[in-house]
Parts: sequence; structure tokens; C-alpha cells
Amino acid sequence: MRGASSNIRRAVRVACRRRGSPQVLWRYFSDSGTDAPGHEDCDVVVVGGGPAGLALASALASKRTLRGSVKVTLVEGSDLSKIYNWDLPPDAFSNRVVSLTNATLDFLDEIGAWTHVDVERTCPIEEMQVWDGISDARMDFNAAALGISRRGGSNQMARLTETLNLQRGLLRRLREQPNVTLLDNTKVMNISEDDIPGGAWPMVQLSDGVTLRARLLVGADGINSPVRSYSKIDSYGWDYPTCAIVATLLHPPRTFRPNTCAYQRFLPTGPIAFLPLSPTASSLVWSTSPALAAVLTKTDPAVLTSMINAAFRLPEVSVRYLHGHLLDVPSLSPDDLRAEISFREQAHAIAPYSALASANVHPAEAGVGIPDEGAHGLPPLVADIQPGTVASFPLRFRHAEAYIGNRTALIGDAAHVIHPLAGQGLNLGLGDAAALARCIQTAVMHGGDIGSRTALVPYTRERYFENHKMMSAVDKLHKLYASTAPPLVWARSTGVEVLNELDTLKAGIIGAAGGRSSAHSVPGSPWEMVAGGVETLVSGTRVMGAVGTGLRSVAGGILQQLGRVASGPGKDQRE
Amino acid sequence: MARMAPGESQAWSWTARGWASRSFLPQPPPPISTVNDAEVSHFSRLSALWWDERGEFALLHKMNPHRIRFIREKVLEVLQAQPDAMSAAAPASSTHIPPSLESPRVLEGMDVLDVGCGGGILSESLARLGANTLAIDASAENIGIATRHAAADPGLTCSAASASATLSFRHVTAETLVQEPKRFDIVCSMEVVEHVDNPAAFLRSCAELVKPGGHLFLSTIARTPLSYLLTIMAAEKVFRLVEPGTHTFSKFVNPEELIGFFTKPLMPGARPWISRTYAHGLPTRIEAEVRGIVYLPWRGDWVLAPRETTPWSTQANYLFWVRKPIE
Repeated sequence: MRGASSNIRRAVRVACRRRGSPQVLWRYFSDSGTDAPGHEDCDVVVVGGGPAGLALASALASKRTLRGSVKVTLVEGSDLSKIYNWDLPPDAFSNRVVSLTNATLDFLDEIGAWTHVDVERTCPIEEMQVWDGISDARMDFNAAALGISRRGGSNQMARLTETLNLQRGLLRRLREQPNVTLLDNTKVMNISEDDIPGGAWPMVQLSDGVTLRARLLVGADGINSPVRSYSKIDSYGWDYPTCAIVATLLHPPRTFRPNTCAYQRFLPTGPIAFLPLSPTASSLVWSTSPALAAVLTKTDPAVLTSMINAAFRLPEVSVRYLHGHLLDVPSLSPDDLRAEISFREQAHAIAPYSALASANVHPAEAGVGIPDEGAHGLPPLVADIQPGTVASFPLRFRHAEAYIGNRTALIGDAAHVIHPLAGQGLNLGLGDAAALARCIQTAVMHGGDIGSRTALVPYTRERYFENHKMMSAVDKLHKLYASTAPPLVWARSTGVEVLNELDTLKAGIIGAAGGRSSAHSVPGSPWEMVAGGVETLVSGTRVMGAVGTGLRSVAGGILQQLGRVASGPGKDQRE
Repeated sequence: MARMAPGESQAWSWTARGWASRSFLPQPPPPISTVNDAEVSHFSRLSALWWDERGEFALLHKMNPHRIRFIREKVLEVLQAQPDAMSAAAPASSTHIPPSLESPRVLEGMDVLDVGCGGGILSESLARLGANTLAIDASAENIGIATRHAAADPGLTCSAASASATLSFRHVTAETLVQEPKRFDIVCSMEVVEHVDNPAAFLRSCAELVKPGGHLFLSTIARTPLSYLLTIMAAEKVFRLVEPGTHTFSKFVNPEELIGFFTKPLMPGARPWISRTYAHGLPTRIEAEVRGIVYLPWRGDWVLAPRETTPWSTQANYLFWVRKPIE
């Protein structure tokens, strides 16, 4: 994705004020980049053209009060025209998908970006099935039953789409917004402080020779954020000993229900998730050991297909065996693997008509006629994998110690990186963009200097703790389910089963919260609820010595936590 | 608590009665300057710290958005109640279109004076809201700091004392400026009244600088046991949020004293700025307003008290607005 390969002639509008005289000029960005010395003054310089950076630029440009008073420049090292012109046939899907919560969708609507997203390539999540890999304790979230609905009526708790579809939509929206200058194929070479007396503003040196002097420099520049290093903000965290495998899965359509249910099974090695994209395509996010990920991404797609089907269906002991077996024999043929799975199914007494059987069932037959026993609780049998979509990436946890520095602010992955098991990373990033844009608007209304600490503190106050809560909950969830210790498995399973039975309570809580229209009072997703319950469980089991004290206190803790989730979002930060 | 006894050997007697009786003698000789030399040197020493948003003036920086919000609200309120009012006050800008509620530049085209600008915290914000701002201070060093800081900001057209600039700073006192013919749509003097020697004379100068129909905004601290506890005991002595010696309790001004001041004619025969007060002592909202502003340490921010709150909200810091009659 280097810009040098691009010979597309792209006009880029430079609307920054040159020192002294405001002017608008058209430039062609090519390899001949050396421009006049000196610098251009900009109000907001956003580094990074990922979803968070694009959304911030778009949010700022869409605020009526900021038009004409805040000029935004977005700098991106790669070639954004590739994303702008991104196009795939309707039955093919990119392997990176995001789950957009209803709050995020409201934000995208508000900034006018959602109309530019290809809705045909999105899929509502109406139901979520999450279960324990060891005990099979199951949690079932049904948007209709729980009364979660989005403005406009459809019962959905989130909407899945490809990251590229979202990014392209944001770019299309930005194309309509003249207040934003997009500088792609342009790298940030260096950031330094100016030497103007009373200044110390960030000077951003670009690869095309131009230097931007930023009133506010926003780092939307990812996990190794140069803006964060410039701001001397540390970030803490760790690398999980797991990798995520992603792939686009192809399967026959289901006859007994639409493909709008997300499935996730928590295996001790990490969760495996099946995320629907269309009636015949879904996305895989499978966190597992790096060694297994390395084998699975290189293996025959038929082997990967069988392994995925088995990972959702076989008891944990057999899944573990298969993983070990594949690591021992990386060149295992699809037929040998199928025979192995078939043997395991017989050993576990899984009947051929059961939905748990996968080895000797043709995927096309599985979805026809009367559904197999237990089919509701399992994703459709994967028939094939879209070629070229298998990839893996390491999983990390990072949280910056602060979100603001001297005339700098961090959003998205530059501020926080989270385990993808709850699909919250991008939502947190877009939440940052929304909050920062709001904060800048308030500052402008009060004649504030938008780069000043005074102006930016409300942004940190709104986001830092909020993000931290979600991040640590997701982290704990990951660690809780990584354990195979029987008391812990018993405790987490009991907790989950109790919670799952309290349908009216679930409905009441989410229904009440969802009834409020403010984007902030709607829980990000049922994950917040799950995570909250799990958090209590962890501390609960620790105190009780894990065994015996019984269900009552665990359930009591969860109820308490639920109450907190229900009342929690009613904060009064915005005046 | 350290409330001053009446008749104490202060240049200014701070009981309400003494204040009123002293300040409205028919012929008070206009003082050369109300500036207190010790206070000026105190702030000059701190000038370098003016723009450290986490330092000595952190509380002031945090208060600034709320002061601007109050100014914004009152100016818009008057504009909406009497759309022609401001054009009467500013006849020069006949093409001036009243700004909408959402517009950030509500002060577009208005002449605004900031008396006692310090490092220019309020002045810069006023200029950003579109005002032609003149900021004055009794300390030359403050003016230097403020000019230097504003010059680094390309969004502000700033100069030391040019007529065309939207933000200019001058080392001059209100008493001297009032001798010049220039008058202003808005005069602000934030956190200043409690630092001057002769508040009545100071206020009279500020009032004189306001165009008919224009606004005067003040902010100060009430002289109550609560304010002693908060601004001197807690902020200066215990938590050291503010440099000890910043405030002198006896110089604090109570809201009713300000209301009383403007209820009487400022000049013999002139119309008083506040024509009547209600039974509880407060003026009508279209003539003057007192709003408490309270620092909440657990939020780390100030809160502009709602209009309907009980009088305790004005027991310490408060904002005061009064409008000059159109005549």
C-alpha cells in the first residue's frame, strides 16, 4: 500500500491557511514534493486515515457551528484512493469485519456517513449465542426478546460490515465536505515543537516537504502512534499469548432462520466467533495459540474448514486433541482429518443426524428440511473458505496513560488496543472521535483555544474511564475463559446459566436502557452486561475460595452488577 | 471568622452600610489611580505562570469557559428580547446581523474592553467570539505576557495597540482610559474588583466606558464566612491551589453591594442602571443578574449555578451582569 505505485492523478485541495494570507490552491501530489519553506497553519491536523481518524474529520466538518472556523487536515501515509475505489462482487467479502453497536450507528448517521456505506454489504445481528467450551453453559441474547431496537425499528443489537465498507463510506462523506483537506500518500516525517515565543505548537513535517503547524494535533495513528511518542505519553499493556485467525466463510443458506445470529464458543485457547455477513457468507475470528494459527493459515483450506466446524461442535477434549494432532502433523490431509473427526464423533456418541456432527455431513444437506437436533445453537456448517481471505494477527492490550498532551489528543488504537472477542475496539475508537468532536465544538462556542488543555480535558473525562471499564472487562473475560480449573469452570458456568434464565430481568434492564434515545444511555452491546457479570464472578470466586458457598451469592453478585449496568449509563457529564 | 468590624482602619470600610455611605458622597474626588502597587507586583511575579494551565492559574483557566458562557447567554438574551438594542448601542455597524444561537461568533462587530486582562485568558476568548477586543492591565509585564502569547496564535490578529487589530493589549488603567473618547459595547472586569483600592471609583470608571445600552460584566468573590473558608483557608492556605496572598478577605464584594451601587445614580441626575429590585433584593433579569459559580473539587471543574438556586450559590464566587440604560 505504498503511494509510489500510484499513478492515479489526484487533485488534493489544500485549504490550510498559509502564514498571513488565506488561500486555497490545488496541488497534484506526486513524487515531486518539495514546496516552499515555512509552514502552513492548521486548526486540527489528524494523523491517520483509519476509521477513527476519518470519522473525527467527518464529525468536525459536519458540525454547523464549526464550519468556517475550524480547518481540518488529515494526513495518511497510504493511498486512500484504493479504499475509495474499493469494490468487490456482492458474494465476496473482505476478511476484516467490524460490529457496529447501535450507538456507533447513531453517530455515523449523525455525521452523514452512514448513507455512504453500502447497506447491502451489512448484516444486522439479531441474536447472539455465546457458550462455554468446557461446560457448554450458554448465554442467548435475542434482540427482539430483550426489546433492543434501533431508531427506525429493526431489532438489532449491532450491525456487521467490512471495515473497508465503513472506511469507504467515511471517505465518500469526506469528499462532500470542503472543510477537510485529505493528504494521502503523505507520511509524517517528524514532529517537533515550534520555536515561536509563547508557542510550543506541534510542527508536523510531511514527506512532501510541507510543514504543518497544528493548533491541535490528533493521533489516530495506531498502536505505535508517533503522535503519542511526540506527546511523551506512555502506554501500558501486554501481548496476549494468542493470535487471531480471520477468514471469510462460505456456507449454504439456512432455511429455518435467517443468518443473523452471531455465535461464539469460548475455548480455553481463546474464543472462536462466527459473524454473519450475508445468507451465504460469514466471517471468522478465531483466537488461538500462535503455533496453531501459523499452521492453520498455511494449511489446505479443506483442513481449515473441517477444523472450524469441529471447533464449534466437538467436546473440548477432542478439540484439544485435534489441535495437538495438527501441530504434530502439519501436513495432515483433509481426508485423514475427516476420518479423525468422524472417529471422535462416534466416541462421543454424536448421532449423524445431530447438528453436532460435521465429518460425514454435506453442508448443503445440513441446511435443508427439518433442522438437525440442536441446529439453533450452532452456526451453519462451513462449506468452503473464500480464497485469499485467511490471515492472522497478534492480539494485544494497550492503554495510553493519558489521552491528551501539549496540543495533542489521541483517539482509537493510538489510545487503546483491546482483545477483539467482544468486537468493541472500533466502537471505542469511533466513540472517541464523537466525544472529541463534541468537546472541540463546546470549546469553540466558548471562545476557547481548541488545542489547550482546558478545552480538551472534557474529552479525557468522558472517555478514559469509560474505555477502561470496557477494556478491563473484556480482558478479564478472556482470562476467565482461558482457565480450565474445575471450580472456576463451575462458577462461571453457574453464573452464566443463572443469568440466562433471568430473561425478564435481562429484558427489563436492556429495554429500559434502550428506551432512552441518547446514544450514551444505550449499552454498547450485551457484552457490557456479560462482562459486568463475569467481573463480579471473578472477585466472587476469589473471596469464596471457589467452592461450595453456592449459587446464592454468585447470583446475588450478578444481580447487583446488573443493577449497576442498568443505572450506570445515566451520567450527567454533558451540560 | 475574620469578618472586618465596622470602622476598622481600612481605606475602605467594608460593611454594606459603610460602603454605600462612603461611595456615594456627592463629590468624591476622582482618585488618580485605584491600582494597588503591592498587588501589581504580586501578579507581575506570577506572570510567567499565567499560561501554565495546570499551575498557579489552573482554577482561572477552568473558570474561563463558564465566564464566556455567561457573557454569551446574557448578550444573546438581550439581543433576542430587544433585537434593535444592540444596533442602538453600536450604530456604526448598521449592517450587523444578529448572530444565531449556534454561531460561535456572537460578539462579531462589537467593541469589547477587558479591564485587568492579566495574561489575556478572557481577552483571547472574547476575540475568538468575534469581538474587537481591547485588553488593558495595570501591570506592564502582564501586557507583555499576554501580547506574546496571543501573537503565537495565528487565529488572532493581534498587536500591541493598533486600531485595526481584533485583539490589542495596552498597559493603561481604566481611570486613564476613561479620559479618551472611545466607549465599548461590552466592558468586562473579571476577578478584579476584589483587588483594587477604591472599588466604587473603579466601578464608576468601568461604567463610564460602557456605551448606552451596553453591558458590564464583573466577577468577584462575596465577603462571607464560606468564601473565607473556600478562597483563603482552603485554596490558599491548605491546598495551595492559589498562591497565598492572592486574596484579601476585606476587599471581597458582596452581590448586594454591587446591586446597591447600581441602584443609585452613578452621576448626579443620571438614571440609575437598576431601576427596581424585588422584595428579596434581586434586580429584574433584563437589568442585572447575579449568578453563583462554584468549584466542585470532585469534578475538577466549575459549575455555573442555575438561576433558580438558593442564595447560598452566591456566597463565594459569583458573576455579575448589568446593562447601561439606553437613556
